Amino acid sequence: MDFPSLRELAAGNPWPAIWPELSLGCLALLLLVLETVLPRAARKGIPAVSILGQLGILAVLLANFDTAYRETFNGLLMQSPSGQVMRVFFLVSSIFVSILARASLPGRGVPRVEFHHIVLVVAAAMMLLVQSRNFIMLFVALETVTVGLYILVSYTRSNPRTLEAGLKYLVMGALSSALLLFGIVLLYGVAGSPGLAGRTGEAMQFVGLSQFLGANPHNFVAAAGIVLVLSGLAFKIGAFPFQIWVPDVYQGAPTPVTALLAVASKAAGFVVLLVLVTEVFAAYEWLVGPVLTFMAAATILFGNLAALKQNNVKRLIGLSGVSHAGFILLAVASVGQGPRAVGAVYFYLIAYLIASFAVFGVMTILSGPDDTTQELSDYCGLAKESPFLGGVLACGLGSLAGIPPLAGFAAKLFVFVAAFRAGHFGLLAVAIAGVVISIYYYFGWIRAAYFNDEAPISPEIAQRARTGGGRVLRITLAALAAATVVLGLYQGPLGRLVSGH
Amino acid sequence: MEQLAFTALSVLTLACALGVVLSKNAVNGAMCLLLCLAGIAGLFVQLHAYLLAFVLILVYAGAVVALFLFIIMLLDMQGGQPWRPRVASLVAGVVAAALLITGLDLLAVRGRIADAAPVGHSVGSSLKLYAYQLFTTYLLPVQVMGFLLLVAMLGVVVLSRRMAEPEDPR
Repeated sequence: MDFPSLRELAAGNPWPAIWPELSLGCLALLLLVLETVLPRAARKGIPAVSILGQLGILAVLLANFDTAYRETFNGLLMQSPSGQVMRVFFLVSSIFVSILARASLPGRGVPRVEFHHIVLVVAAAMMLLVQSRNFIMLFVALETVTVGLYILVSYTRSNPRTLEAGLKYLVMGALSSALLLFGIVLLYGVAGSPGLAGRTGEAMQFVGLSQFLGANPHNFVAAAGIVLVLSGLAFKIGAFPFQIWVPDVYQGAPTPVTALLAVASKAAGFVVLLVLVTEVFAAYEWLVGPVLTFMAAATILFGNLAALKQNNVKRLIGLSGVSHAGFILLAVASVGQGPRAVGAVYFYLIAYLIASFAVFGVMTILSGPDDTTQELSDYCGLAKESPFLGGVLACGLGSLAGIPPLAGFAAKLFVFVAAFRAGHFGLLAVAIAGVVISIYYYFGWIRAAYFNDEAPISPEIAQRARTGGGRVLRITLAALAAATVVLGLYQGPLGRLVSGH
Repeated sequence: MEQLAFTALSVLTLACALGVVLSKNAVNGAMCLLLCLAGIAGLFVQLHAYLLAFVLILVYAGAVVALFLFIIMLLDMQGGQPWRPRVASLVAGVVAAALLITGLDLLAVRGRIADAAPVGHSVGSSLKLYAYQLFTTYLLPVQVMGFLLLVAMLGVVVLSRRMAEPEDPR
């Protein structure tokens, strides 16, 4: 008996190469099975199973961290050291999101196991997304992420703001996917067009497309396709002029989902952008460079100026997240002139992850059943009531603002150095103005927590600040606050990544 | 003959697309969408993309539009308020249409797309080759699609279920 097709199938699809994604998927399925077979009383432990399982996968992943560049799945995926970094990144963010969800979902009358299931699938799809080197794979993984996020954003739908956020995210997400898809189709079509130099039938493959674009560096249709692809990605990362959905969706979504959107979804968008800009669109630097430069400047200015007037903390975090997207775009725009910029992007994402989850953790502990209406005034006197939460908040916000010696300062410094080396002096001036503005509103928040004695903290919030959240979340927050300080002083192996060795 | 069929199909498609947007009755709109999809399928046949035409009829015209009709019947959307355009939305529509037409014109003039000969046996033109590719080269995306559909199904269950009474925390 001989099955040549089966042998070909086995040779082309090395499943062990994506074991982290596979085990996340299996863990997600296990959660659903557990919910059906376990007795009602034991089901409360399922979120803990999810978190422990992810910690196990993370441990094995870190033990087998080293990897070489290797194409797998017939060129659909590319294993790389940066891919490993992002795998760890998404796994860590999904662990944090699960911890936040475990602390905040009970008592809100929504099913819990499905939430954890979707978070796991979304994390696995993000891992595939950043490793994909083929537009079909990219789009399928992206849609898995997006569909999961549609559901998560409107998860506590009895709240009208959440419902509004879900609808807005659905419409905007569909629009951005359509833009991206239209761009991909234009690129595929023009690359297969006879009569053009270097035409290829393999244009879905990044390698084939980049060879075609290299042979036709001034094709109009290809340029239109590239602009559409960049627009679709700009929606996902919330960059100007596609940032319009950010404040409403961030405010309405449940806090753990806001964290997932702000950190993991944005990071996935940036890594895809980085791969496309460096590997595929390199011949169109004349087009991509100015577009990214304009986007970065406008995003930094818009995010910071709009965040100035916000009183709702989730809107403030959302709009300041837009400005952070601008800073990372600044690094992406400098990529053409040196490998250090790539490292700066990764380091910024990691610093942003740690600082954001510290802030989101404090927000989760302090929020009541309705987590969409938290104002800055709710934080008045927090540091007196709970010096621990006040300290975590100060570390997180200080790192987001870029205060030395916290991680956010080092991240901004690396980005600015990369931009300086690339010669983006005008952009650098805009970015520094943005940092100054951001310090103003971040310190407004810190001032409310530390120095504002006018309005006393309300009894319920004081109660939650003292006892809310549970032990796991509080230990996690302490670890995150420590990590912001340590990473600001000593970058270790991450520093090697940034300096391009 | 070929030119005539192309013109007829294009007119049908465009007229039905206009019908979808302009018709006041939602059922008529869905029917126009059905015809519009049939017209597009006809255009695909002219391009020798038989499989694409077949899938379009099967999935979109057969399943999706039928689903739309069910939902329209279920929600009983007849006789709503007539839509009155505001000035701002009219201006925005005109600007968007102008941009779109300019873009298409630029694409047609500056794109210089050569006349394409119908592609012979590549992906999409033959069902067997297509299926072969789907289950060898593109096996991973197919599996990921499985998870996508599972998540979508779970989402429908979660979002349409009646909200339970808040349970006591932990």
